[in-house]
Amino acid sequence: MTPLLEARGLYAGYGGMDILRGCTITVAPREMVVIVGPNGAGKSTAMKAVFGLVRIREGRVIFDGQDITNAPPESLAPRGLAYVPQEHNVFATLTVEENLEMGAYTRRSGIAEAKARVFGLLPALKIKRRQPAGELSGGQRQMVAIGRALMMEPKLLMLDEPSAGLSPKVLAEILEAIAAINAAGVAILMVEQNAKAALAMAHRGYVLAGGQNRFEGPGPELLADREVAASFLGG
Amino acid sequence: MLEFVNLYLVNGIVLGCVYALGAIGITMIFGILRFGHFAHGDMMTAGAYIALALVWASGMPVLWVLPAAMLLTAALGAGLHWAFYRPLDTGTGSTIVIVIASFGVALMLRSAVQLFFGVDITTYQRGFQTPIWIADTIRILPRHLWIIGLTIALVVALHLFLTRSRLGKAMRAMSDNRALARISGIGTMRVVLAAWAVGGALAAAGGVFLGIDTQLSTQMGWNLLLPMFAAAVLGGIGNPVGAALGALVVGVAEELVTFPWFGEPLLSPAYKSAVSFAILVALLVWRPTGLTRGRVF
Repeated sequence: MTPLLEARGLYAGYGGMDILRGCTITVAPREMVVIVGPNGAGKSTAMKAVFGLVRIREGRVIFDGQDITNAPPESLAPRGLAYVPQEHNVFATLTVEENLEMGAYTRRSGIAEAKARVFGLLPALKIKRRQPAGELSGGQRQMVAIGRALMMEPKLLMLDEPSAGLSPKVLAEILEAIAAINAAGVAILMVEQNAKAALAMAHRGYVLAGGQNRFEGPGPELLADREVAASFLGG
Repeated sequence: MLEFVNLYLVNGIVLGCVYALGAIGITMIFGILRFGHFAHGDMMTAGAYIALALVWASGMPVLWVLPAAMLLTAALGAGLHWAFYRPLDTGTGSTIVIVIASFGVALMLRSAVQLFFGVDITTYQRGFQTPIWIADTIRILPRHLWIIGLTIALVVALHLFLTRSRLGKAMRAMSDNRALARISGIGTMRVVLAAWAVGGALAAAGGVFLGIDTQLSTQMGWNLLLPMFAAAVLGGIGNPVGAALGALVVGVAEELVTFPWFGEPLLSPAYKSAVSFAILVALLVWRPTGLTRGRVF
């Protein structure tokens, strides 16, 4: 099967220093892929590079058959690629509903249907829809951020540490919602600190270290791998 | 008491309206582009003189040509951004170069107005207006009613635009989180130019209203800068309706310090502008987020 996303041999970083050093990530349609690895491995940078937020010095990013290497970020949502940053990922002064509308900014039609679908996937948002997103709890804000990204009906949803700063209970809720989104046919590429929980539900995982691929394989297999466990999953 | 309302309060509200129309643009541009636009006062001057040219050309009363003047100044605002500020926007978040450039643009605008219209003070229309009596007690000039009524209409229209329309919501989204707006696919340049157009149109209205209330001079807009910035900070930077309310407070406060509270004026009218300075300093010391808890950058 041709991959939906193919980021190959990426060299990228800030101010002339490469953080990614030849890392490669692919995602097939409908697949759920998780990136794990130690701090500073370049997990978030890899996502940002794919989304045009960090300049790629070398390497190629192909999405849905088109070259999007260093494409301007605002051009990607209409192509079916969505990204939820780790921080500042909602419009805090806008209501939940307005956040969703901004996610569909480039859509000319079907906004009401998209909104209804997002409320269906993330029912907690519906009751809060007239409230400013900044007033919500961490977990609800994360739901708003994911909902915003879903408004364009993306083929691939990229999530940077969706569980950051959440309690274990809320984390479980978020992961459940992500699994439901994936089950609805949206491919997922996710960076996650809670490696065990994330790998357990992923089709495939990457272990990144020093900006390079270290291990790659089906989620449960990576979890079972003793070397991976010893070096990256804290035993 | 009636003297208080008729000679001080009404004047303060009218002044507040003029400030409001400029402060809204200042706060919107700061919210979206993160820089203080020091040419905003001179954009108001330009708007006022564009209206004067339209009055001369058409022979119509100034309020009739106001919509056309607002449109032309909207184009001027967007054009200023395109020609002068956009090339300096490095995207690195450093805006001090643009702030300095806006001082240059302020001088340029003022000089352009002086070149075409001269440096003498002028008016839209000569002659007296007789005040209207409301309930036999409150005396108000028709032009003051127009200024207050139209300002309220413009602020309400702006509020509806920002909360109901797609483009208006995108402006708020960009002011809230520019990076996330890009990620959401919001085309930054179109929204920025639209914000300049809105700021320019309102600035023209403010300039024209000041010209109607008093007179036109090439310094008129520049002199408004301090109270307008005070109003924008008072209302919480990035909050247009807050800026309008802040402007009302500043305008009324400036007039009320000259009221003979204890038999003689509290302050000589010459010191009026010290009021906005005092408000600004007090805010920056005690409440830098503004009264409405806007954002701090």
